[in-house]
Amino acid sequence: MPASPSAAPVATDQLTFRTLGKTGLKVTSVGFGCMITSDASVIARAADSGINYFDTARVYQGGNNERMVGAALKGKRQQLYISTKTGAQDKAGALAHLDTSLKELGTDHVDIWYLHGKQTAAQLTDDLLEAQQIAKQAGKIRFAGVSLHTGHKEVIPAAIRSGKIDVILISYNFTMGTTVDELVAKAKAAGLGVVAMKVMAGGFRRMKEGDPNGAILKREGAMAAALRWVLKNPDIGTTIPSMTDMDQFEDNFRCMPAKFSPEDEKTLAAHLERISPVYCRMCSLCAGTCRKGLPVSDLLRIVTYADGYGQFALGRERYRELPDDVTSVRCGDCSSCTVECPHGVHVARRISFAQEIFG
Amino acid sequence: MRALLLSLAAAAVTFAQAPDCGLLSGWTAQGEARSFDADNLFEYMDGNAEGYLLYHFVRLRGVNCQSGEDTLILDVSEMGNAEWAYGMFASNRDPRVAVEKIGTEAQIVPRRAILVKDKYFVEIGSSKEQPEVLRQFVRAIEKRIPGTSDPPEALTWFPPEKLVPGSVRMVPESVLGIGALKRGYVAEYAGGKAFLVRETTPASAAEVMNKLRARIGGTSPVKVADEGFEAIDKYLGRLCFFRKGRMIGGFTGLADGADAAAIAAKLAEGVK
Repeated sequence: MPASPSAAPVATDQLTFRTLGKTGLKVTSVGFGCMITSDASVIARAADSGINYFDTARVYQGGNNERMVGAALKGKRQQLYISTKTGAQDKAGALAHLDTSLKELGTDHVDIWYLHGKQTAAQLTDDLLEAQQIAKQAGKIRFAGVSLHTGHKEVIPAAIRSGKIDVILISYNFTMGTTVDELVAKAKAAGLGVVAMKVMAGGFRRMKEGDPNGAILKREGAMAAALRWVLKNPDIGTTIPSMTDMDQFEDNFRCMPAKFSPEDEKTLAAHLERISPVYCRMCSLCAGTCRKGLPVSDLLRIVTYADGYGQFALGRERYRELPDDVTSVRCGDCSSCTVECPHGVHVARRISFAQEIFG
Repeated sequence: MRALLLSLAAAAVTFAQAPDCGLLSGWTAQGEARSFDADNLFEYMDGNAEGYLLYHFVRLRGVNCQSGEDTLILDVSEMGNAEWAYGMFASNRDPRVAVEKIGTEAQIVPRRAILVKDKYFVEIGSSKEQPEVLRQFVRAIEKRIPGTSDPPEALTWFPPEKLVPGSVRMVPESVLGIGALKRGYVAEYAGGKAFLVRETTPASAAEVMNKLRARIGGTSPVKVADEGFEAIDKYLGRLCFFRKGRMIGGFTGLADGADAAAIAAKLAEGVK
């Protein structure tokens, strides 16, 4: 019986490459985020199809993810770039993590080694930066990186200033608009490679079953449009969408040569229109702007439990954990609201609603 | 008796809501207790939260415990139900290390212990190697967590012969890397990998089988359960899939000479 592929073939002449800053690494514009992948066959197929950048982390799946990635890419190491991450807080811990990562991945070096999930400049400690330099000198890593999901405004400049970071891995998607484009451009101008994660806004996967937004987003075109939105920024070196199956891989693969179209723009605009009045991006730009001192983003999150996720009890529980000087405030007592959300969330209306249903 | 039961139940709920260091003498809480839910888990484990959300994470309560110079980081995560909690446990255990029958299952390595019981997934990290202390904590915690210690039923459906111990895990989406197989269990065998996926109805399972035939291509029908086929796939190797009612299952990565249909039939036999 002849072997058949478990998926339609992809056209490898559609691969597009970009250079990852001063590292000089020529990476495919679509890489592979392995975090939630559970079957090695998807990773192996991506590698066979020409995708050449794979990202994992020491902590993913309790360490099992690195082992699976190593097994999936066995025998292909020389043609690929692999990155992993450490969440250790100090030099010794980080270097111990790295040795374990190399063993589990079955390689003598990783191409990029990220300090994982830094939210503030202070977390880029001299100790951790020194660990990366030691690892570089030992030939265990080629380039040093830092990954961040939040805190772009603080961490990206700090990474540039350090002079020791070669690559940044940042959350970057259409819901952020152009808010971090200037920082991304500065990073690129400084020679840093920029890798984008959470390119489909993370929320796709976090949506609860039955959420109507989930159905809309998952319908044909929405996720690909989100990926093409990221790829239209030439300052982005590569992207690492999470992929769990062959269909997702094929969809993402086809995004490489495709241009972000007016149709994509319409799809994403429609989605933003739907979520803008209610969806808090957790950008923290509202912090400290309420004259009554309310923790605005926390309250927006709490009210979303009730009307977004259908978990009223959880929302009420969270609300009741807030201090009295927060829960005693009523937005209706102010004649006007000092909080202006740059993303269009109707803050006063949403928080009033929280006070009404939980208070 | 009723009062005692109620008091025990209250204590159990309290522990899941507020993990307690005083379970073992000499250990006290250090600093504030922590609490996170699906929307702010990233503040605690920035970069790994999605791995929890995938298993229907609801909330985490945690505390740091201290005894002299030693510190334990104790976190209790409530997942959507016992099956999701087991899935979380199975994806985080080290398949090379034996599990212990504490709660549903527990695994203890020198500086880390994990436990699953009912819908709770417990993690303890230690500042130094002390597996016996971790084991004592896990045993004490297990007694304070309410609910069932039975593993998900599907685990018992995999034939024990040639099963790699501790290899059965729940896959939250895209079993075998195939989107049509939404959620299920996989198990490693000496000479292959088995899987089981539960569909909503026999009709929807039959529809998925048709999608699989179209996707894989070059399939040949075999007589296993309600319907079956075999094929050779570039990435999954030699395979045999079947449908039994609303369950879809099968083997991949079978050796050339193996009787694929007979091996799959053995798995189908165990499916209730």
